[in-house]
This record gives sequence, structure tokens and C-alpha cells, in this order.
Amino acid sequence: MAEIAQQPGANTGGIDEQKRQKLLELVRGRALARPTDLAEDEVMVWPSLVVVEAVCAVVFLAILTALSVLVNAPLLERANPNQTPNPSKAPWYFLNLQEMLLHMDAGLAGVIIPTLALGGIAAIPYIDRSPLGVGILGTSSKGRKIIALATVFTTVVLVGMVLLEEAIGRGTQFGMGSWLMDTQGAPAWVGSIVISSLIVLGAIFALVVMVKTIYRPTTRELIIALFTGFFITYWVLGFIGTSFRGPEQQLMMPWDLPLVHH
Amino acid sequence: MRREQSLADRITGSSVWRSVVRHGYPDTQRNQALIIASNVFLHIHPVKIKRYATKVTYTFCLGGLSFFMFLVLTMTGVLLMFYYIPSEDQAYQTMQEIEGTVTFGQLMRNMHRWSAQGMVIAVFLHMGRVFYTGSYKPPREFNWVIGVLLLVTTFLLSFTGYLLPWDQLAFWAITVGSEIGGAAPIVGPQVRQLLLGDFQIGQSTLIRFYTLHVIFLPLIAAFLMAVHFWRIRKDGGISGPL
Repeated sequence: MAEIAQQPGANTGGIDEQKRQKLLELVRGRALARPTDLAEDEVMVWPSLVVVEAVCAVVFLAILTALSVLVNAPLLERANPNQTPNPSKAPWYFLNLQEMLLHMDAGLAGVIIPTLALGGIAAIPYIDRSPLGVGILGTSSKGRKIIALATVFTTVVLVGMVLLEEAIGRGTQFGMGSWLMDTQGAPAWVGSIVISSLIVLGAIFALVVMVKTIYRPTTRELIIALFTGFFITYWVLGFIGTSFRGPEQQLMMPWDLPLVHH
Repeated sequence: MRREQSLADRITGSSVWRSVVRHGYPDTQRNQALIIASNVFLHIHPVKIKRYATKVTYTFCLGGLSFFMFLVLTMTGVLLMFYYIPSEDQAYQTMQEIEGTVTFGQLMRNMHRWSAQGMVIAVFLHMGRVFYTGSYKPPREFNWVIGVLLLVTTFLLSFTGYLLPWDQLAFWAITVGSEIGGAAPIVGPQVRQLLLGDFQIGQSTLIRFYTLHVIFLPLIAAFLMAVHFWRIRKDGGISGPL
């Protein structure tokens, strides 16, 4: 402790000035670390973070104000329970559910599948507990490839299934459900619930098998594939429901739609 | 030699000013720490933060923007409440008044509408960002669950607000939406009855949606957000590379 006794500026004992100050504080009974002590990889929240937040908020508010000046919120004629518009559509963020509703049982499409999906999403951190890859988009380059593959796969399968069922007959489970009902005397729920569930599970299973075969994924990477499947399904089905479903929920091009939905 | 006091110095040195703002101008590290720690709105933040946490390309401000839109929605929503009457007979008429005769009424309604749509998108994308950066991993598991509940709350807030204009778009969107909810196995009819308060959408539905929209769900959202933001700090701040 000889250094501490030295005069300031006369420090030649191999201990640098900063350490000397800290030792002095220890002797004087002060805290070692002050709130303003910054580590190498740290910055002060004021101004470094606050300025980012302020700029984000101002830029966004400017965009929102400009949009609100230029584009008016829709207000159609007064609600009339006796006049059903064709097509009738749910708010856009539920149109993915309405799209599924066209192909299967309403309870399955509107309640069971979304509930299972949200429950599964909430359970993710209790299944994947490995801390690897935190803070890195997609965990690794392999993870990012899985995201790309799952995105393409989900989009192609969904669009393909919608088009195929439209060609065969909507709500017939590609003709399987209607065949069971018409020729085998099976009740309607066999097609709309059992066959539909099998088709959905089959698509998910195909994604899992494909990713497993190609990438030999970890738990995290497999969950990335499944989450991407959900994420893309939400937007793709919503996009079909918003922009490609016209009167009688017929598939048509966006510019042929009779009513603009917001 | 004493420097001559400018007007600004006199104001910021006055006892009134010092009673409101406890610290000096934040150009020293000490004052920068104090401004965060002593301000109720800023103390949501820690005093210092990891450098990577200030990168816009990591978060794209999505969580912050969701919260910001919630604030915009609260403010414009309160202004709209001064004019809107949740009655089957008057709702549509008051909507026309807001658009036609209330000063800045159309602008307030537009901002409310577009923020509501934007919030659904931002919250959903925020979930994606948190997922793809693995930010739900321990110790942040519980905050992820809170986030899923906030997503559901956002959907419900938007859905209940959708009916209020009482036009054809609102009426039939909620009709379709509540039919989806009513298709739930076993409890479907009860869920639909609870939601609509009647066999079809009418006055009892409007007042239910209005009350849920302007007070009940915002309180739930605020409660969940308080937990969400608090847990970010308690779980070690925003996630980053190990």
C-alpha cells in the first residue's frame, strides 16, 4: 500500500492512476464502482439510447401524420343488418383464419388451430433452453438457410393447396372429404375435421422431415423452421384473404375485387 | 472573476426550476446519470447500457414503436371519445360529425385508424424479431409469454374498435369475426353470447365492445406492458450476443 501514501502525480510504483484512485476510495470507505463508471462495451443511455428513441419516434410520427393527412380512414354507409355485403370479410388480421375456414371445419380453423399455435409459441422458451445464438439473427448461417427454406416451402405449399382445392372444389379436402361423404356415407365431420387435421399435420410433418434430412438441425433450428412456417402462414393466408377473395369468396385478381378492405 | 449570469442561467438556477429539475444540464456523465435516474418517465431505462443495444438494425425499434403507437392511440382515442356516442342510433351520425364538422376530427380518426393497423403489424413483427434473435431464451422465458398475451390483447383491442364506426364495414367484419369465435367447440354459443350480449350484433354488442375498447383492454394492455418493460431490465436488459 505504499503507493497510496505517495503524492498525486508521483505514482511510479507500477499501479496506474485509476486503480490508485479506486484504492483510495476503498480506504476512505466509498463504493468502488460509481454509477458513471463505464465498461468498454457500455454507453450512457442519455444520450446514446434516448437519441435513437427520439429520432425513431419523430420519424414515425411524421410518417403517420403524412399518411393520415393523405389517406382517409374508410367509412361506408350506415350498418344495415338486412344487407349482407358480398364478400363479407373479417378484419384483415383475421382473414388468415377466414381463409382456413373456407377449407375446413369452422371450429378447427377459427379456434383450435390458432389456440394451439399461440400455445405452442408461448411454450417455445420452455422447450428450447439452450443459450446458444442469442442476439444473432437466425442463430447461425445454417439457421438463416432454414428460415429461407421454410419460407419458400410454406409459401409454395399454401398457394399450391389453395389453388388445387379451388380447382377440385373448395371445402372438399382435395376431393377426399367429399368422396368419403358421398360414396362411403361418412358424416361431414370426417372430412372437415379429421381429413383437414391430417392435411395440416401432414404439411407440418413434411416441413420437419425435409429440414431434418437436409440440415440435421438442433432443437432451436427445428423450432426456427416451425415458427417460420407459422409466421409465413399468417401473412400468406392473410394476403390471399385480403387481396384475392371476391364475391362468394371466389379467387380473383386484386384489381377485380369489388370492395376495398382496410 | 465571476462570469456574468445570462437569463438562461438565472432561470435554470432559480429555486422554482431546481425544485422541478434536480440535476444540471446533462453534459457531464454525472448529470446524464441523474437525468435518467430522477425522471419517472426515463427511469424505465438503466443509466448505462450495452453498446449493441443502441443499434437500430438489431431491434428496428419495433417494440418501442408498438408502445409509441399505443400512446398515439390513447391520445387520439381520448379526443375521439369527446364526440363519439356508443349508441346504435347515434354512433354512425357522430362518426360523420367527427369527419365533417369537428376541427381536426378527420385527422384524429385517421391517425387512430392507421396507428391501430400499424400496431398490429409492429407487435407481430416485434415477436418475429425477438424470436429470430433467440431473445426468448432463459432468463427471458416469462417475458416472452407476457409478449404473447400482449399480442392477443392487441388483436382484441383492434377487433373491439373495429365495430365502433357502425358502418357496413364494421358491422359485417364483426359479424364474420364473432362467427369465427362462436365456432369454438362446446363453449362456442356461450362465447358468442358473451361477446355480443345478444343473438345478433346490436346495442348490447356496441356498448360491450366500446367499454372493452376504451377502458378494460387498455388497462390490461398497460398492466401487461408494465410487467413486460420491467422484466426486460430485471432479466438483464435487451438481449445481445454472449
